[in-house]
Amino acid sequence: MIFEDDETLQMYVEESLEHLSTIENDLLIIEESGANIDEDLVNNVFRAAHSIKGGAGFMGLTGIKELAHWLENILGMMRSREMIPTPSIVSNLLNGFDKLEELINNIEQSNEIDIEEHLTTLKGLTEDSLPEEEKAAVTTMKDILNMNGQRVFTVIELDILQHKKQGKFLYLLEYDMINDIQRKGTTPMAVISGLQNSGVILESRIDIGAVGLLTTDVPTRIPFLVLFASLVEPKIAPTLADIDASQITEIIDEMIVKPEEGVGLVQDKVSKIVEVAAPAAAPPPPEPVAAAPPPPPPPPPPPPPSSPPKPKSAAAAAEAQKPKPEVKQAAPQTSLRVNVSLLDTLMNLAGEMVLSRNQLIQSISDANPRAQEAACQKIDLVTSELQEAIMRTRMQSINNVFSKFPRVVRDLAKSLKKEIDLRMEGKEVELDKTIIEAISDPLTHLVRNSVDHGIETPDVRHALGKNATGKVLLRAYHEAGQVNIEIEDDGGGLDPDKLSLKALEKGLLNEQQLDEMSEKEKHKLIFLPGFSTAAEVTDVSGRGVGMDVVKTNLDKLGGELDIESNVGSGTLIRIKLPLTLAIIPSQIIEVGSEKYAIPQVNLSELLRIPPSQLKEKIEKVGGAEVVRLRGNLLPLVNLADVLDIPRTYNDPETGEVMPERRMQVADRRSKSSPLHKGSPRSILKTDEDDYDRTVAKKDRRFHSGSAINIAVVTAGTFKYGLVVDRLRDSEEIVVKPLGRHLKDCQGYAGATIMGDGKVALILDVAGVAKMSELTSMESSDRVQEVARDARAAEKARQDRASLLLFRNDPEEQFSVPIGLVERIERINVDDIEAVGGKRVIQYRGGSLPLISLAEVTEVKPIPEKKQLEVIVFRLTGKEVGLLASPPVDAVDTAIAIDSNTLKQAGIIGSTIIGEHTTLMVDIFEVARLFNPEWFDKEENDQISASGKQSTILFAEDSNFFRKQVKGFLEDDGYIILEARDGQVAWDILQEKHKEIDIILTDLEMPNMDGFELTEKVKGDDRYNHFTVIALTSLASDENMAKGKASGIDNYMIKLEREKLLECLNGYLS
Amino acid sequence: MEEQSTGPEVLEFATFYIGDALCGIDILRIQEINKQVKVTWTPQGPDYVLGVLNLRGRIVTVIDLGRKLGLSPIESGKNNRNIIVESQDEHIGLMVDSISDVLIAESDRIEAAPANIGGLQGSFFDGVYKTERNLIGILNVDDVLKE
Repeated sequence: MIFEDDETLQMYVEESLEHLSTIENDLLIIEESGANIDEDLVNNVFRAAHSIKGGAGFMGLTGIKELAHWLENILGMMRSREMIPTPSIVSNLLNGFDKLEELINNIEQSNEIDIEEHLTTLKGLTEDSLPEEEKAAVTTMKDILNMNGQRVFTVIELDILQHKKQGKFLYLLEYDMINDIQRKGTTPMAVISGLQNSGVILESRIDIGAVGLLTTDVPTRIPFLVLFASLVEPKIAPTLADIDASQITEIIDEMIVKPEEGVGLVQDKVSKIVEVAAPAAAPPPPEPVAAAPPPPPPPPPPPPPSSPPKPKSAAAAAEAQKPKPEVKQAAPQTSLRVNVSLLDTLMNLAGEMVLSRNQLIQSISDANPRAQEAACQKIDLVTSELQEAIMRTRMQSINNVFSKFPRVVRDLAKSLKKEIDLRMEGKEVELDKTIIEAISDPLTHLVRNSVDHGIETPDVRHALGKNATGKVLLRAYHEAGQVNIEIEDDGGGLDPDKLSLKALEKGLLNEQQLDEMSEKEKHKLIFLPGFSTAAEVTDVSGRGVGMDVVKTNLDKLGGELDIESNVGSGTLIRIKLPLTLAIIPSQIIEVGSEKYAIPQVNLSELLRIPPSQLKEKIEKVGGAEVVRLRGNLLPLVNLADVLDIPRTYNDPETGEVMPERRMQVADRRSKSSPLHKGSPRSILKTDEDDYDRTVAKKDRRFHSGSAINIAVVTAGTFKYGLVVDRLRDSEEIVVKPLGRHLKDCQGYAGATIMGDGKVALILDVAGVAKMSELTSMESSDRVQEVARDARAAEKARQDRASLLLFRNDPEEQFSVPIGLVERIERINVDDIEAVGGKRVIQYRGGSLPLISLAEVTEVKPIPEKKQLEVIVFRLTGKEVGLLASPPVDAVDTAIAIDSNTLKQAGIIGSTIIGEHTTLMVDIFEVARLFNPEWFDKEENDQISASGKQSTILFAEDSNFFRKQVKGFLEDDGYIILEARDGQVAWDILQEKHKEIDIILTDLEMPNMDGFELTEKVKGDDRYNHFTVIALTSLASDENMAKGKASGIDNYMIKLEREKLLECLNGYLS
Repeated sequence: MEEQSTGPEVLEFATFYIGDALCGIDILRIQEINKQVKVTWTPQGPDYVLGVLNLRGRIVTVIDLGRKLGLSPIESGKNNRNIIVESQDEHIGLMVDSISDVLIAESDRIEAAPANIGGLQGSFFDGVYKTERNLIGILNVDDVLKE
């Protein structure tokens, strides 16, 4: 039966959980100290178990009582040093307490939950530690009789023996719930804890059987029986409790009998009666005796089929309200402890609020503007303070999450046979309750990962010369209004190569993509969906949820994840979290008639492009509109188009026009959106139209309105420009959830209420990006990362190159390195022949195959013209013509290649030349796309023709140049060993120096530059016979001198193909 | 909530029009009935969602009951009313064409719903109640508001 006084039960649950929360750490310390038992600590745990047991007995929670009892027993034996806490015993205790916690969390079902397994283990432990003759006592039950020979309790013999051994006396205390507890203004729980100061409660229960049958008169007493063991001698026993001496009986040996010997009620029967009457007899209902037992509640009749509508809805409602039967999941916390002084502050502020309101009302009725202003100011002030105070009530220390990790790490380390020392810093850092709850799982996952995958086994660590005990450090600290949480281990670290291999195996990315990734990016591969680093899935970390879930969950909280890792020395994962989620600063924007909020964390800047600059700032490249922002290209998304909002909709008053709206929306769909119309002018024009109709109706001079407003937003590390109609203020908004019917809209993160009382939607910028199909987030994260690295490299230096500029459509500018071009011919379109599905032109007695860029890549075709230019390349020993529309032009320029934004097959990237975005054509790839066969066959021919293949070690950090140079060198029959910097080149050299014939290196590279590489090569006896040729974009005298000093044999200009080939030939022949 | 009475239960329904159909909702489910207020349109939402409104600090989803029931959308007009009901711990506004009387009905006079009531799908209804002039479909709010 379960005691059904909610309040008492709730109190019991809370108290018990509080007890339990400290137990875990205590037990871990106990385990650590081993035989060197800290009695105080054991006592702590003992007392906790004991209090739980005490309350459980009183409330009829038999399952909890029994489990707590056996736990307590073992702790008691530890305390008296009859048992030494070995790890296995502590493990069993921990398991036992876990189960206990589960029971307490599911208190309603606690009696039905199976705890047999735990009991058997615990009993076994107890038995093992007992001397032989006492072993039987563990399982023998004894009845305790009262003075009348009635059985009142059944206890385990061992308990009696243990207490007798300690020289304690056993007493039977008989409280009366009504006279001794209720009337004295105390509660049963208080009585129990009072008693525990002077002894040990073995058992307790309310003897409902003694109340009498329910039909008889109102009972005058409800006995509450306690079996109590204490050192207090019988003479002074009455001082034990605040009850009459007659109610205290010392239990003598005669009163302890074997079961079934005593007369009296069978336990079952008692419990049955109790079950029915308990709710009525429950203490402390305020009304005294008179109300005590109401008529027995009739069995609930089956719901009669009365009215047809009622049962259905009632049943449905009941269904909805009924808590789900499986309560195993830790339910979110429903109550919260708040510091009393904080509560006082709140009360105070609430009072201030009321006062200010009264002042405001008064001032309004007096029509006194000055007083109104004062009142408003006061309300403003009080509200801010109130907000802050209330936020503080929600703040909880991160220790709530951290505290569970010692146990997690211990258990895990044990099962993985690892030795781990967990340290935690910054436990006192406070975070909003909802965030605390939400980070618990991701954090656990990360910690488990560190232990499982990060830290090596002691053998391995030993072999590596590390301390056999691995270290895991959990650290929380405030920084710049955010909370950082770090999980650091000194384990094996993440091996970028292994990660790449894995990603490749799983088909998540292809080789080329991986090739272009930085080490840091490769670390982040673990966050890709479907990626798991464990070679085999263990039951520890491989539980079907991967790191991608961790990332998703943290993203939801607005958190950021960062990884630093070094192979062999460990991994550091840093999470940045906002302090709170409830109130956020945000930028208000307007599209159509509605306002939207963009969270400030997602906003990086606001742009306003005046009409006069539209043409030059906004470009359309490869089907997407981009804005040029300080030399970078930023993709644009028009919010109105993404959301399908008619931008000029002009009736904010009511919802009356809904059907009309839909029509407009439909109309709109058939039209192409202004952003997709093509020329940048379209934006300008539409916007002007919009303004003509809305804002500028009265005021035509409002010319600046036709400027374009762009909110530059970041979703993760991905950045894009959101085109909106109007930019408004930035405001602090209160985030409110949207109803369930709108849950599927991925563009919204919630809603908020504006100052005018209207609702505004909060935009989820990541969702908007997805909706606009801008790009998938995973890849764009990557792209951005690459871009950042690229930019960093650019800052250090800019490569110069001679480029040939040409166009197909006048709108799109392309370029190829001029060094690759054989010559340029002008041809008549009429001379082009289409033979065998390919276009050729007769030329110098042969057929020159012609390629048009539009055939292999997504660019606009060449407009109809009479004459075209043919750019002739020599590829794989063959000449190939690339069609272009005149004129073509050559420039010598510094190029900063953005190899991400506009990259596609055949286009290696983009750069800005002469104020125009220029696509860099990868001619090798274009030719390969156009006719793959050329390459397979011809390459082989070439090799056999040249007889000996020379191998070149080629160090170059720019993807673009590396590819181009590699392309034409391979074309000429060389084998290329690529290296992305000097360090990599050096590593390759050491490994494969036998194969290498010559070294070709860029000068400026990260990690190790060309000079250093040359010095190393020339300074090493093994390698100083190698010729080192430096490739540079511009050979300055200063560089030359430096190069000479370091031993560079020759200088070549990048992409001057002929000269380079000649030079290589010279050295190699 | 349950009254201790011997006779059939007496139930109260708020009735309203969706197009020509007269429907009722158990009055105990209704939080309040509003006139038109400012609704913020939620583009990209389901077509039956008219938008969201601020009901004293709560975000309330407003649903076009006509569309939701598969009829033509509610025509906007002066008589439009927003019936705020609570469903699954959330307030939801049901936009109807106009509101009618409160119907007091004895539970035993409510008949099982036919498969089709004036073009409306019968499964949304708990039953029908016949008056001298009208047939009133008693809506099951939870069924109607299922996503």
